Amino acid sequence: MSHVVLEDVTKRYAGHVALAGVSVSVEQGEMLALLGPSGCGKTTLLRCVAGLTAFDSGRLTIGGVDMTGVPVRRRPIGMVFQSYALFPNLTVRGNIGFPLTVRRETKTGVAERVEEMLELVGLSEQGDRLPNQLSGGQQQRVALARALAPRPEVLLLDEPLSALDAQVRHRLRDEVRRIQHQVGITTVFVTHDQAEALAISDRVAVMNAGDIEQCAAPSEIYTAPSTRFAAGFVGNRNTLELRTSGGRVTAGGAFDVEAPWERVLCMFRPEDVSLRREGPGARALVDVTVFLGATTRVYVQAEVNGSPATVFADLPSRAAASLSPGDAVRLSVDPGHVQVFPA
Amino acid sequence: MRRRIFLGLLGLYFGLPLLAALLYSVATRWTDTPLPDGYTLDHWIGVFGKPDVTSALLRSLLLSAVVVVVDVLLVVPAAYWSVVHNPRIGSVVQTIAVIPFAVPWVVVGAGLQLVTASFAPGLFGTFWLLAAATAAIAFPFMYWAVEGSLIAAGAVRLSEAAATCGANPVQTLTRVIFPAIRGGVVSGALLVVATAMNEFALAKILVGAKFETLPIWSARQFVSRTLGDPNALAVVTIFTFGFLFALSALVVRLGRGRVSTIGRTLR
Amino acid sequence: MNWAPALPLLAFTFVMLVLPATRLVNDTFALRGGGYGLDNILRVIDNPVDRQAVAGSLGLGVVQATLASLLGAPAAWLITRMRLGGRAFWLSLMNVASNFAGIGLAFGFVALIGSTGMLTLILGGLFGIEDPFPSTGSFTGMNIVYLYFNVPMFVLLTLPALSVLKDDWQEAAAVCHATRWQFWRHVGVPVLAPFVIAGWLLVFTWTIGVYAVAYAVAASPGSQKLITLQIGATLESSVFGLERAAVLSVLLMLLAAGTTVLYRLSLKRAQRWL
Ligand SMILES: Nc1ncnc2c1ncn2[C@@H]1O[C@H](COP(=O)(O)OP(=O)(O)OP(=O)(O)O)[C@@H](O)[C@H]1O
Ligand SMILES: [Mg+2]
Repeated sequence: MSHVVLEDVTKRYAGHVALAGVSVSVEQGEMLALLGPSGCGKTTLLRCVAGLTAFDSGRLTIGGVDMTGVPVRRRPIGMVFQSYALFPNLTVRGNIGFPLTVRRETKTGVAERVEEMLELVGLSEQGDRLPNQLSGGQQQRVALARALAPRPEVLLLDEPLSALDAQVRHRLRDEVRRIQHQVGITTVFVTHDQAEALAISDRVAVMNAGDIEQCAAPSEIYTAPSTRFAAGFVGNRNTLELRTSGGRVTAGGAFDVEAPWERVLCMFRPEDVSLRREGPGARALVDVTVFLGATTRVYVQAEVNGSPATVFADLPSRAAASLSPGDAVRLSVDPGHVQVFPA
Repeated sequence: MRRRIFLGLLGLYFGLPLLAALLYSVATRWTDTPLPDGYTLDHWIGVFGKPDVTSALLRSLLLSAVVVVVDVLLVVPAAYWSVVHNPRIGSVVQTIAVIPFAVPWVVVGAGLQLVTASFAPGLFGTFWLLAAATAAIAFPFMYWAVEGSLIAAGAVRLSEAAATCGANPVQTLTRVIFPAIRGGVVSGALLVVATAMNEFALAKILVGAKFETLPIWSARQFVSRTLGDPNALAVVTIFTFGFLFALSALVVRLGRGRVSTIGRTLR
Repeated sequence: MNWAPALPLLAFTFVMLVLPATRLVNDTFALRGGGYGLDNILRVIDNPVDRQAVAGSLGLGVVQATLASLLGAPAAWLITRMRLGGRAFWLSLMNVASNFAGIGLAFGFVALIGSTGMLTLILGGLFGIEDPFPSTGSFTGMNIVYLYFNVPMFVLLTLPALSVLKDDWQEAAAVCHATRWQFWRHVGVPVLAPFVIAGWLLVFTWTIGVYAVAYAVAASPGSQKLITLQIGATLESSVFGLERAAVLSVLLMLLAAGTTVLYRLSLKRAQRWL
């Protein structure tokens, strides 16, 4: 039995559809990332689970209990807001202890749990500071500790890292993952950063326009996206619009795959492209090379089925060193890594 | 539901005195019945034909005009120099601005009466003393409005740009800065006018009957109940309320919805 | 040079505001026979009418500030929660009412609850209630009239402050399983309290300085004595005793200075955690 189950949840705002019948379930102890572009309904979905927003139709159960009509303050959840929403007049200890105090736990009980949480998020030194005396990353940890303090069953995180700069974001991302593992709590993590979603979660749900397009393990989302949107949103891809013949599409010799439609979009990752001096493949001319460190991105002008196309390839920098603009090369793509969608 | 009742009662409290004054202004005779015996627009037509009312209104308008001119001339250069060149001016002015804001105007009037009594007895009771005093108590409104719009318009950058184009300070002020802060000057002026039209304490103490402004006229009607004309007073009251309403609506509009006319107080 | 464009304003305000204030302080201590002393102050303290006036002004200030806070704080909160139309209506109403502290206001109230006022006659005629309202010149009557501008004043003062209370704090509290009451007790009230105290102080200061309305409603005999009215009356009969006006004025200035300092302190405190 899944821990959190949403069945066909819909939500409209004045005629505008924010959630168009979302069904998804989260397993016990699992971290599910909700990934999607701005405005696709991620926050709305999370707030529906929390009970901060009421949905129009559908069903939500947590631990098998139907949550319809259960107010926010009776749901077994903890939540970290995008803005952290720390109470400005309470110290770090006061904030973390707040959910315990309002549950009327004993003073010593609260104090013990607060110290435990401070230790967990590594803020034992800053316990008596006010929120405005903390850095963004520290505030984020306090928000996390506050959400976890009352031992909720489910943890909800709404873009908890988006207000931080890149370095801190990467460090905290791994830390959130560590803490989630350590506590073993069922977690829903909202983000619009695909790298973050892939790095942190057990499964990723790709959202688009109020619906979940694909929900699968990060590696599967990355290598085998099931919809055109998921393929386009996760990772960098080359996209070629091609005509088929006889149920197959051949890209001027670059690849040859099955395609049961008349016009198709072929998508493939730059790291699955190979460029050779000679041999089989489509003819191409090297255009620009961009050095990225371990890899180099090479843009080539290819001729595919009679029309020109720009394709980029990520090659190990050592292999790309011999290529310079104007060189003639042969382009080929591993057919197992080409996704085909109807155009 | 409870909030409806609360707001309803509050609305009633704010509406009823106005309603009573409004009814008075259109009543034919109203002595001891709950509602007037009959209604007429005669008072509204008649009031502005009464010489004492029209001259009081004209005196108040003249006072407002002089006060606005004085405040604009004094405040705009000071605020400009403070924002662009010398922020210490601002802190001195803000300190002085606390005086009319916190100290009752009666006290300002008392002090001025004592000062003029020993230094310039001839000035006491003149229009010019009243105008100067009113300009002094109203200047913070102008200063806050002008300073705010100078900062919002980026006066420092604008001045630097004008200087690189070869403009001297006076040209900068008249050609570049003033057009950019016109909105602030106008809303400051409206607040100054509202103050000058409504000011009673200084007028009573410094000039009294020698220069009867509209508030002084109203007070005379109100206090001498036998000689006064309550219907005319009712008309003037409603008229003043409408005038204030129009002014604050204008200020709110110019300030793009900034709520308070009291300046930036609690922030 | 760096001060030149501001000199006219500084000189003007110095002459019109600072000089009179210093003169009042001087006259408070200057004795008629020459020299300085506390005689003027002692004479005011010994005068029962002045004592009544001081007690009346302070009492009115405290009652008004408290009532304005109690009524104004929830009103301001409700106004922030309103839709645009209702908000605009209430804001304009508050704006005008807060500026309407003049003779006209006194007239409106006399026409409403005076001895032949509309509401007095309605209550008397329909329900047979005799004298339902106190005289507008009495302490209670003044309180009824003053609220008309003090509640709006308080609302306008605290409205901007209410926006510091973020919606997501309430939501975060709900997620922490706090009741609405617990939210207000632990977060809402502590965050807003310094702003409310600041508003209280300003209403107090302004109330004791009111002159026009007081002058009008106190025209009837036997009405409440107030400091500002005593000052006005003394100045009018200006043949003798101007020292008395100076002493009372200095008292008002001291109160103004004290509340201004406290006001600044409470605002500073309010900013501490924002
Ligand atoms: N209170 C509201 N009233 C009306 N429309 C709303 C409201 N809240 C959200 N919406 C709309 O619902 C849609 C989904 O919003 P939501 O906040 O869930 O997006 P999101 O995926 O979280 O986006 P972001 O990444 O920008 O935070 C948006 O089109 C938004 O405009
Ligand atoms: Mg969002």
